[in-house]
Amino acid sequence: MTLILIPLLPLLAALLSLLPAGKRFAPAVTLAAMLGGLALAGVAASRVLAAQQWVAITGWVELDGLSALVLLLVAFLNVTAALFSWGYMGAHVEPQRLRSYYAHFNLFAFSLLLVPVLAEPALVWIAIEFTAVFSVLLVAFDDTKAALEAAWKYIALMFMGAAIALLGFFILFWAQQKAGGGHYSWNGLSAISPGLPPTLVLSAFLLILVGFGVKVGFVPLHTWLPDAHSQAPAPVCALLSGVKTTNALYVILRLAELLPSDRAAGWMQAVGLTSAGVAAILLLQVRDYKRLFAYSTVEHMGIIFVAAGLGTGGLYGAMLQMLAHSLTKSFCFLAAGAALFVLGTRDIASVRGLLRQSPIAGSALLLAGLAIGGAPPFAVFLSEFSIFRAGLEQAHFLVTGLLVAFVVVAFSGILLHINRIVLGTPLPATTGPGRVHLPRACVLALMVAAVPVLVFGLYQPGPLQTLLRLAASTLTPVSPR
Amino acid sequence: MADRILFNLLQALAVLVFSPLVSGVTSRLKEIVQSKRGPSVFQPYRDLWKYFHKDEVVSQDATWIFRFTPYLVFATPLFVALLIPVLTDYPLFFAFMGDMLGGGFVLSLGGFFATLAAVDTANPYGPVGASRTRMVGFLAEPVFMIVFFTVSFVAGSTIPYIVQQRWITPWSTFFQPSHVLLMLAFFMLILAEGGRIPVDNPAGHFELAMIDESKALEYSGRGQALMKWGGHMKTFVLLCIFLNVLVSPWGLAHEHTFGAVVLAVPSILLKILGFVLVLVAVESSLAKLRLFRIAEFLGAAFVTSVIAMITRLYAS
Amino acid sequence: MPSSDVVDWLQNLNALVGGLFLLVSFGLVAIRQVQGCVRLFVALSTLLGLSAFLLSAIDHNWHLAVIGIVDVTTKAVVIPLLIRRALRDEVYTRREITQVLNIPTALLIALLLAIAAFVLARPLLAFGEGPAIAVNLPIGLAGILIGGLTAAVRREAVPLFLGLLAMENSSFFAGIAVAPEMPLIAEVSIAFDVLILVFIVGVLTRTVQERIGTTDVGTLATLSETRPT
Repeated sequence: MTLILIPLLPLLAALLSLLPAGKRFAPAVTLAAMLGGLALAGVAASRVLAAQQWVAITGWVELDGLSALVLLLVAFLNVTAALFSWGYMGAHVEPQRLRSYYAHFNLFAFSLLLVPVLAEPALVWIAIEFTAVFSVLLVAFDDTKAALEAAWKYIALMFMGAAIALLGFFILFWAQQKAGGGHYSWNGLSAISPGLPPTLVLSAFLLILVGFGVKVGFVPLHTWLPDAHSQAPAPVCALLSGVKTTNALYVILRLAELLPSDRAAGWMQAVGLTSAGVAAILLLQVRDYKRLFAYSTVEHMGIIFVAAGLGTGGLYGAMLQMLAHSLTKSFCFLAAGAALFVLGTRDIASVRGLLRQSPIAGSALLLAGLAIGGAPPFAVFLSEFSIFRAGLEQAHFLVTGLLVAFVVVAFSGILLHINRIVLGTPLPATTGPGRVHLPRACVLALMVAAVPVLVFGLYQPGPLQTLLRLAASTLTPVSPR
Repeated sequence: MADRILFNLLQALAVLVFSPLVSGVTSRLKEIVQSKRGPSVFQPYRDLWKYFHKDEVVSQDATWIFRFTPYLVFATPLFVALLIPVLTDYPLFFAFMGDMLGGGFVLSLGGFFATLAAVDTANPYGPVGASRTRMVGFLAEPVFMIVFFTVSFVAGSTIPYIVQQRWITPWSTFFQPSHVLLMLAFFMLILAEGGRIPVDNPAGHFELAMIDESKALEYSGRGQALMKWGGHMKTFVLLCIFLNVLVSPWGLAHEHTFGAVVLAVPSILLKILGFVLVLVAVESSLAKLRLFRIAEFLGAAFVTSVIAMITRLYAS
Repeated sequence: MPSSDVVDWLQNLNALVGGLFLLVSFGLVAIRQVQGCVRLFVALSTLLGLSAFLLSAIDHNWHLAVIGIVDVTTKAVVIPLLIRRALRDEVYTRREITQVLNIPTALLIALLLAIAAFVLARPLLAFGEGPAIAVNLPIGLAGILIGGLTAAVRREAVPLFLGLLAMENSSFFAGIAVAPEMPLIAEVSIAFDVLILVFIVGVLTRTVQERIGTTDVGTLATLSETRPT
């Protein structure tokens, strides 16, 4: 079964990377597993494009449009993160800790791949729990006081959210039993969704919104996000921001589809707007460029959620935004990692002229800032534009207006800080003797990650568009909103 | 009707006569648990006899409150004993004279005057103990209220006899969470109001650490006898309320005959013995709490009683 | 088929277990000693297992009996062992002297949360059949809220984490009544997932203890926008 094999590859790699077989063995095994996963994910996605969905074990392991999209994203970002880790971590970590890093990294990748592949909600809960559990020690990897504090806050809030969401899943099961039973899977639930008792589904949705909202980073449950996403090593941050939050949002979106009333749309817009707004404002006063990108994650999660609440037109925009954000945010964090490698500090105020100090890191960071802010011709611009258009078409003027305002604020905030770092002449304090060269693997990873960021804003291949449309249609509720 | 009055007076007499025995048994058991021999169980009777035959010494700064209080402290538990089920499970002559809240107020009347008397003599340890007793008292009030509210709400009345018939006589209520939790909360309340460990050490002689004992500190002779006897009776009455109204209806006379009522005396004493065993176990295994931790202890009792109330009112 | 009399008894016992479950959740907020917290958590998990056994006897659902066994094994036996192993003895015997709020205030807030949970669960109870759901669902929801409060007011690492585990226990407590036919694999995997979590948090706590010197994690608050990291 190809589908089951996809998450198992990193699991195997995790075991193998514990073997003390030389400095290059663990990274190589990891990269090989990730590439294999990407290939298999591509095969799975093409199967889904051909047949609308792929059922491996009915009720347990299924893939449809939305999960295929998420699976592809996870697989691709795993590859870039693994490639970047090879250079970044290999440079200044001793071999034994390196092996532990790769073991955890592979376990983390395994859990991330598990989420879209499984179709039983309780198992999906377990998979999301795994993504939190296996990434805690990665967040704490730096072993500094700040990193440990971030890791502790992270795991405490993650588990709190998970416990709340667990009750929501139990109530969802209860609702399904009340409506007549059937497989407890995404397909089974959506098939029976008109018959689900509204009170039960609403309370389940609320519990899961609060519980998984912590994991996505909705305001006011986002307090762990800037800490965890800035203290972790750069490739881990890329995965955390790019994919892990998207996975949690994916689960919430699946559930939103089951709600029959259009009260859900109102809530989604309200929650999304609050997140986008507060994050955009908090963005302005950061002092650490990794925290900058973390707040930007919160903002984009809010934008995706608003888009999903804007009706059928907005759903396509939401899918496109999910794709664009994951790819771009991962590239952002890789660029930030490269910058950290060169500069040695995360503080914005003490850095100038990165472009002159290291052209690769500087230009990557500049591109990343422009891309995530939403400048044309990058992918995020296209997705945000289609969301605005959908909002105006549906006559949600207030929501669209607010969203535009928040995006503009975030754009100016991000570029304000990035310009300060990248342009100008380097400060004498930070220029050491000679240039710091980025490892080749890091440069290669940056280039590979930059390709979709640059390309998808201008041209999207046909199969990709079909996949996005398929994903959007999966989320369209059976009964009209 | 005459037999009702007779049984009521018999009830009061039982309380009067047997309360020192309960105290004697408690202290003897505690000493046995500590591997000592302990005084005879009839020692409190001998103590009372001794006090009655001694002279009384009264401070010249004391007012009428000081002289009046021992009689009040002696009379109030007797009065409450007329109102509650001690020997019978059907209402007696004075049963409708006051309900549980009224009985609670009467008991606290005695405590109020005891506090005033402790302040009256200008002995420094008196007011110290009095203020601490008041603190424990006001922290325990909410627990009393919630317990009484819950049982009265369920029984539809505040008269103890009716509560007893409707609250604990049906078997199905015995294991209900509200019942168990109310028992627990009231037990903690008895520990607090009766001045037992973990709130206060009844066998302690160190004035700076006394809470409840300090009220009898200045008395001598007849006054001390009455204060002590009143204290014993207050404990006995609280135990009767706890065991007969809240815990179980066994051992109470059901028929209206004299013989049944007399037979009820050993059964109530047996129930009290069971309680005393539990009390001694609790007292011997805990340590006395620091003064400001008493608020946490009574807070826990309050929480327990409110959970009992919630589970009864909402979950049924 | 047990007679309805026996079923009534079992329902009453389940209600008693529920009341004690709620009481122990309150205890987790108030108890000062770390060791006391661990003992209360063991009691909580045992009560959860007991409720699972009672409900399985009432409904003849052997799934729930298996869940009860798994739960008691993992949470009442293995997790305390893991916590004990992960920490040094000195941490284990600590008392928490200061909390964020003083204990009576925390208890009162917990009480309000419990009442709120009972009120919020009211509309959901209309869909339930049998008294088991009426007992387990509100108490489970109350346990979740009170566990969250415990995690918020406690500063020491172990009681904080036990509060989080209590939240998950309470979710399960509601779940065994609300969704007893959930696939067994899912529920058993949840129990093992919690085990892995506890192991990893144990490692993290030990690292915190070694690097920072104290497990007073509530006072770690250096990451913010006001100071550059």
